[in-house]
Amino acid sequence: MEQHITITIDGREIQTQEGEFILNAARANGIFIPAICYLTRCSPTLACRICLVEADGKQVYACNAKAKAGMNVVTTTENILTERRAIMEVYDVNHPLECGVCDQSGECELQNYTLEIGVDSQSYSIKDTHKPAQDWGLIHYDPALCIVCERCVTVCKDMIGDAALKTVARGSDAIHGEYKANMPKDAYAMWNKLNKSLIGPSEGDVLDCTNCGECTAVCPVGALVSSDFQYRSNAWELRSIPATCAHCSAGCQLMYDVKHTSISNSDEMIYRVKNEWNYVSLCGAGRYGFDFENRVAGKDEAAFASALKAFKKADTIRFTSTITNEEALILRELKRLHGYKLINPEAKALQDFLGAYGTVSGQKLYRGDLKKVHESDFVVSIGSALKTDNPNARFAMNNAITMNKGAGLYFHPMSDPVIDGMSKNVLSIVHAPLMEEAALYLMLDLFAPKAQLPKAIADYLAGFHSTKTVTIEESVKEDVIEKVMVKKLNEATGVEEEVEEEKKKSVTKKVSKEVEVDENALLKLLSAPENFKESLDKLLAKKERFSLMVGPDLYTHPNSKNLARLCALVEKHTPFELVMIPSLSNSLGVALICPLDDAAGSYAIGYNTQGDFILSALGSGDLDMPSLNQQEGTLTSIDKRVNPTNAALAYHGYELNDIANALGLNAHYTIDYTPRLGEVEGYLALSFDALPNHFTNSGEEVRGYLLESLTCKAEGEEVAPIRLEAMEGPMLYLANPVLHFSPFTNAAHQLKSSGALYASDAFMQRYGVQEGDTVQITTPHGTLRVAVARDGKIEGEIPYLPTFDTNLNSEALFNGYRFSTASFQKV
Amino acid sequence: MDMAFIIETVVKIVVILLVFSALAGFGTYFERKVLAFMQRRLGPMHVGPYGLLQIAADGIKLFTKEDIIPQNVVKPIFQIAPVITAATAFMAAAAIPFMPSFTIGDYTVHPIVADINIGILYILGVMGAGLYGPLLGGLASANKWSLISTARAAAIFISYEVITGLSILAPLMMVGSLSLIDFNTYQAGGIGNWIVWSQPVAFILFVIAGFAETGRTPFHLVANDHEIIDGFGTEYSGMRWGLFFIGEYANMFFISFVTAILFLGGYGDGSLLGALGLLLKVSFLFFFFLWTRAAWPDVRPDQLMWLCWKVLMPIAVINIVITGIVMMV
Amino acid sequence: MHTHDTHEQHGHGESELGNRYISEHYYYVDIAPYPTTPWGKFSRALKRTLRGELFVGLWVVLREMFKFDIHTVQYPKEKLLVGPRYRAVHAMQRLFESGTERCIGCGLCEKICISNCIRMETRLDEKSRKEVSEYTINLGRCIFCGYCAEVCPELAIVHGPRYENVSEQRAHYIDYAGMLTPIDMAISGEQKEFDGFGAVTPHEDARVKQTPLAY
Repeated sequence: MEQHITITIDGREIQTQEGEFILNAARANGIFIPAICYLTRCSPTLACRICLVEADGKQVYACNAKAKAGMNVVTTTENILTERRAIMEVYDVNHPLECGVCDQSGECELQNYTLEIGVDSQSYSIKDTHKPAQDWGLIHYDPALCIVCERCVTVCKDMIGDAALKTVARGSDAIHGEYKANMPKDAYAMWNKLNKSLIGPSEGDVLDCTNCGECTAVCPVGALVSSDFQYRSNAWELRSIPATCAHCSAGCQLMYDVKHTSISNSDEMIYRVKNEWNYVSLCGAGRYGFDFENRVAGKDEAAFASALKAFKKADTIRFTSTITNEEALILRELKRLHGYKLINPEAKALQDFLGAYGTVSGQKLYRGDLKKVHESDFVVSIGSALKTDNPNARFAMNNAITMNKGAGLYFHPMSDPVIDGMSKNVLSIVHAPLMEEAALYLMLDLFAPKAQLPKAIADYLAGFHSTKTVTIEESVKEDVIEKVMVKKLNEATGVEEEVEEEKKKSVTKKVSKEVEVDENALLKLLSAPENFKESLDKLLAKKERFSLMVGPDLYTHPNSKNLARLCALVEKHTPFELVMIPSLSNSLGVALICPLDDAAGSYAIGYNTQGDFILSALGSGDLDMPSLNQQEGTLTSIDKRVNPTNAALAYHGYELNDIANALGLNAHYTIDYTPRLGEVEGYLALSFDALPNHFTNSGEEVRGYLLESLTCKAEGEEVAPIRLEAMEGPMLYLANPVLHFSPFTNAAHQLKSSGALYASDAFMQRYGVQEGDTVQITTPHGTLRVAVARDGKIEGEIPYLPTFDTNLNSEALFNGYRFSTASFQKV
Repeated sequence: MDMAFIIETVVKIVVILLVFSALAGFGTYFERKVLAFMQRRLGPMHVGPYGLLQIAADGIKLFTKEDIIPQNVVKPIFQIAPVITAATAFMAAAAIPFMPSFTIGDYTVHPIVADINIGILYILGVMGAGLYGPLLGGLASANKWSLISTARAAAIFISYEVITGLSILAPLMMVGSLSLIDFNTYQAGGIGNWIVWSQPVAFILFVIAGFAETGRTPFHLVANDHEIIDGFGTEYSGMRWGLFFIGEYANMFFISFVTAILFLGGYGDGSLLGALGLLLKVSFLFFFFLWTRAAWPDVRPDQLMWLCWKVLMPIAVINIVITGIVMMV
Repeated sequence: MHTHDTHEQHGHGESELGNRYISEHYYYVDIAPYPTTPWGKFSRALKRTLRGELFVGLWVVLREMFKFDIHTVQYPKEKLLVGPRYRAVHAMQRLFESGTERCIGCGLCEKICISNCIRMETRLDEKSRKEVSEYTINLGRCIFCGYCAEVCPELAIVHGPRYENVSEQRAHYIDYAGMLTPIDMAISGEQKEFDGFGAVTPHEDARVKQTPLAY
């Protein structure tokens, strides 16, 4: 499929792949070609035109010209240098010399390229327009600084999938006529476009999106910045600490930028988060939820003593998965020494799920990862509220569908306009809860060769099929030729001109026809739309690389073991690469490292959760613990990668390691356990300091190490048929809103909010409630009174309760499974 | 001993103490001013008119400053050493006739505390005893600079005692008395009778020795700031250091008086003019101390010793011999 | 005593002085060989004593005393004029007329400071402009090199003429309000434009390339 070819750039022979953009090939080999508007992993925008190169004697844009075998590329010619110089001069027209206060403070690509190209005088001018700054909540836009490279628009559409930004009219004077004749052509064309546009929200006056802030990260100048960081500090004062995001299982690499708190307080604090935006996209929780540290004055010896007393007394440790692998290993060692029961229901669910999966697949871990999702062209998601469970999985799906001309299926009981908005090639199947088995059976039915499947399963699937005769209207296409006037960019002058063109046009005629069709009862079970089959055929056209993402709905499902075996079957018999989305930051690590128990004992230590004695990194327990931005250690990500994270801030109190040392273990630092992770199957015995954490120029992820694939004994391929009835009536879901994952995101000052019942407009209309009203929720497991908050990013009538607010005991309303029947009463 | 004598003596002692102390104070003021003018400066100007009250300010400062006694010093000796310096300077003044006798009502006052007939011997003795101030102070200070200073002090003072003694011997032979009043009387005839004319060599030797005894520039080696901090005074503070200081200035005045009386005619014939003349002579000699300080560099310790034993002492001996021969003939 | 009249002698002198470059006007003082005999030593001492230099010295200082040509500046009452390039305790200038603070909080002074003694806090003010909320210079560390005044693009931080570094509290120097020109002085024009380190030079206009403007 992809072939290695050799091309020559500036006399250097380099290896690349057929179809790779020249710019990326050059970058991967350390050859510099200036480029402002291009974003790796996104589509070329052609806004800046500065990446002009000469390929085989013809001027092309390096960001969208594909490498061909034997191509000879020259990056600088006299004409190219003239164009580049003119382009940079144009960018500098009316760009206010406010470098003094601009938040980019030297991290500015405009500044860099102006200096690189050597612009020392200005030849062009145009009357400036008044462009007031706009406040979009977490994001601040200053059009006066904007160079309209459209990177924000591109990333929002191609990577994030919100498509919340677009170019809007600038409303400026026309460029003076004489420039058209005298200016270099590309520079004029670029200016012509620049002079007409600005950036604005796609709809309305204020940005309406999932607030990932990726647009501020990619902005080459200081036009889009974080409102919170605005004018707080110069970039050069900040010290970047490479780390791994602590909030979800994606394990994104990020940089905590720290500096002293104030003139009088030399303690460091985190001012902002940065990311390698060419290779990693952060969600809003990662970008804005950075100050969740637990500040303590010093070691609280009394609390430590009572903690030791509690540990002597306890027989159970409850904990959550927002811990490092090292801490998980400590817990495992403590269990070995003292026989504590380790209770972590959410990780236990994943552990059991992986265990059941292994009984069919013979693998302890799924085969796929998010990189494969990025590269695939057909993505299916089952059992996950993708947007909030793991935003990076959502970005991957969107990126795959947008960039690879892909398509996707999204199975979930809650309809999500963000997913639907990715592309018209995404088909949402809003099925009833508990019907996830049907979705997986459908996958087998649609994609597995029946002959390959065990006979029992093939027969079971065949039982869903029946034929019936229906009258359909078929469209027949006829070609006609029309003459139309089209606007076209004149390459020679760089101006749009109207040109008459002959155009083939197909006209559709409708013909009625009677055909025999195959009816699939699984589709009915899943309440799939009527035309599912036809739509799917269209979506599947020319698709080659398939990815399946399954989420926490499956792990908590009453029949989760059966679902796991079904997943394994799908992975085994279909072309799909399977990815499981762990529910929390290190659920996968905990599931692999800790032997977890089902039932708790009588006296429990709670680590970041409920217990008789609470260790808490949230500062609310009996003994303070460091939070993940104050710890060194490793986290196991969804990509099966063990990522190192560093302590951004100092922690002066006791750590779990201190307790472990007092209880008979012996390690000077918590990271002394990192090489001992090698005792756990799949992990390597590498010391913490040996773990890298960066990306190379070619985008290669050099971070930690990948878990070794693990095999286990397969026990056959039997799966149980669908026995559960669909859940009916009013229902409730357990999920967090956008920007929240856990109480730690809620500790961040930019994200702090109180939990509510998040409901769609449809729900609010039906129950006649307004935002802020209190409702009483009754489920078979409990009742809760909570305020209602509107969530514009969901549809349907299922509202959800969050887990990030420690004041709401949402889990008590559920019995493990993330859905529950419920009744709502306005109070 | 009658009451009047006791009262008179006590009064004279008090007067001398006060006058010499005051002179020491004014001496510092005078020195600072003279040095300043010679170096194109103004000297003290801020305290009082033309800085006159600077002495008072310094006095207050020295009196009120904490008296620090460092940990490793030999405490009693360290404490007593400055007293020796000051006391010997004042004690030596007991044998000096400051003025001719005068009468208040019908009581005749002799402006000398003790008109002993071996005044010169007494003076030399007390001056020799004064050596113990720097010597003991430096040894007791537990400070290396002080120790060096002490070594220098011992060497210099002992050596120059010889010069002092030998240089006065020739005039003594001429006058034939050890009483300073006799010296004065010997020269009472007028300027022409001053011993300085008959004994110029002795005069020069005595003045050089006087510089050495008082430790003034160019022989300011015992407390040479740039080499050994303040020498034996390094560890001293407050009034104890002040006593060393007063001692030094009192000594300067004392030497000036002695020089004036021995060689420059003293108070002459006892008239008021003569008394004023003595004051003038003393003032000039004191001024000369300051003048040399402004003009001359210091010599090295080895040069000083070389000068003493190889130049000055032979000259002094030769001078005595010549004087003897002249007197015999 | 000038001995270097001829070329040979010059060369000779050079070699004696260790081959260094020595000005032609240098000459040796009193280079007679050290006396070895007692008589030689004695006569040398005698010569030195009687040469009269001691008395020349006495004369010189006496002459100066009577000339009374005093050079003392009586400091608190009289003060020397401080040159515009003198670098004393910093001051923060305001704009004339409006009295607005010149400092825009760009942080260049903080960056360039080689003794790391400047710290500032900035924030977004209610007019959406960058505002300096606190600014401090640790004068205990400051070496008064003047880089901050030189780098300041707004001529805001300058070295004031205040060289008398005595105060009851160190804080009197380092708080932003204290450094700023009092606002009434700025408005009334009493604030003096800084003329020293980092100030605009007289021919600045000629050296700057003009950017074309469309209006």
